[in-house]
Amino acid sequence: MDTADLEAKVIEFIASKVENVDASTITAASKFEELGFDSMDTVQLLFDAEDAFGVTFDGEEVKNLRTVGDIITYISEHPPKGK
Amino acid sequence: MHIVVTGMGIVSPIGTGIDPFWKNAVAGTNGIISIQSFDASKQRSRIAGEVTGFDPASFLSAKQIEQTDRFTQLALHAASQAMADAGSLESYEPRRLAVSLGSGMGGFSTFESSAARRLQNKSVPPFTVPRIMANSAAAWIATKYGLKGVNLTTSTACSSAANAIGMALDLLRSGKADAVVTGGAEACVLPLTMAGFEALFALSTGFNNDPAHASRPFAKGRDGFVMGEGAGILVLEREDAALKRGAKIYAQLAGYGCACDATHIVAPDIDGQAAAMQTAIEDAGMTPAQVDYINAHATSTPIGDVIETKAIKQLFGERAPEIPISATKSMIGHSIGASAAIGSIAAIMTLQTGTIHPTINLSEADPECDLNYTPNTAAQKKVQTALCNAFGFGGNNASIVFTTL
Repeated sequence: MDTADLEAKVIEFIASKVENVDASTITAASKFEELGFDSMDTVQLLFDAEDAFGVTFDGEEVKNLRTVGDIITYISEHPPKGK
Repeated sequence: MHIVVTGMGIVSPIGTGIDPFWKNAVAGTNGIISIQSFDASKQRSRIAGEVTGFDPASFLSAKQIEQTDRFTQLALHAASQAMADAGSLESYEPRRLAVSLGSGMGGFSTFESSAARRLQNKSVPPFTVPRIMANSAAAWIATKYGLKGVNLTTSTACSSAANAIGMALDLLRSGKADAVVTGGAEACVLPLTMAGFEALFALSTGFNNDPAHASRPFAKGRDGFVMGEGAGILVLEREDAALKRGAKIYAQLAGYGCACDATHIVAPDIDGQAAAMQTAIEDAGMTPAQVDYINAHATSTPIGDVIETKAIKQLFGERAPEIPISATKSMIGHSIGASAAIGSIAAIMTLQTGTIHPTINLSEADPECDLNYTPNTAAQKKVQTALCNAFGFGGNNASIVFTTL
């Protein structure tokens, strides 16, 4: 999957999770808090992203993921094993 | 001081909503089916009283669904019915509005699915703990309706809801609350939970190909209980305050009794059961002679139904055969910590309508079960005092008394 495809898929995934936010405004620069996710929602979002993209976020690194782009970067640097 | 029931809600295998539930209960409708919610082919007991067609998305957001176990979702649905039925509680201070809920297992659906992920070295959902904890349903009800007073959860296995309702009665009598949302919820039609009950030989295993006849309290050939699920919620208040705000009143919650066998962790005991019934009747300021209907615990286990029969005979003596009894679980199975709330709703509807719902699958009774269990067909009788029994593992016996006003 190239970066543009991955970015589109992650944004599509985030769009399926937001409530009361215009999904068309989501970009790689969007911060989770700007999309209505509080800290617990963000943890849940990242958990769901693990299943959706076949990755496992390192417990400590999760704290550094703040934007949609951070997820895209993490997945591209940690491609799912065996896929 | 009279404590009264002003709102009711139910989610059950034979109906969501009081009217459909009661119509089906009176008709003797079977709610036991082959398990649909998971592949039960490896279970010894492959049948259950499942709530089918329950769609949490019909009343909860995606985020709320993600943060709640099924038992909480069932509780929230029953609570929404009961709160709408009771009408506005705005005349009470939020800090005087309490919740007292029962659940035997809590969020075991989440426990089982998260444990399975952990064993495969996968991450567990971040809401694993707040979904599992037994007080999750009570907390969600409080949050949804702004109930800022006492918030209790009783977990005493199969008698959880009866004790929760009893605690609600005490909160109102002692003046610690002005209204209490009470009852119970359970959702453990689940592979691990059922395997645990199977290992105790507590579940029916001989009717996997004939689920409609599996739950047969007091009948010959019964071989264990059928797992059920559901939720029952009552709104309780003091009569004077309820009348002042113009609420309709279903019945009086007149008494509650609890007694522990203190003999065995799972085996039932005649004296403990009789003591719970007697204590509840005395708490209501009544005598056994006044009880004219019993909603029995009656789970369809070989030993339990005999012990309850003997306990009723011990307490009521010569009158025992005259008192109509019925077993709601014959139609819906055993919803553990919700069962006494559902039995209470059946008892209240009996007071309201003068109709006693039948015990189905009772064409031939066990010779050791020789009381009037209202077999197969509903009976008509003006009932003024109804006793609801709930006897749980841990030797925990609880009974509650409802009366007409």
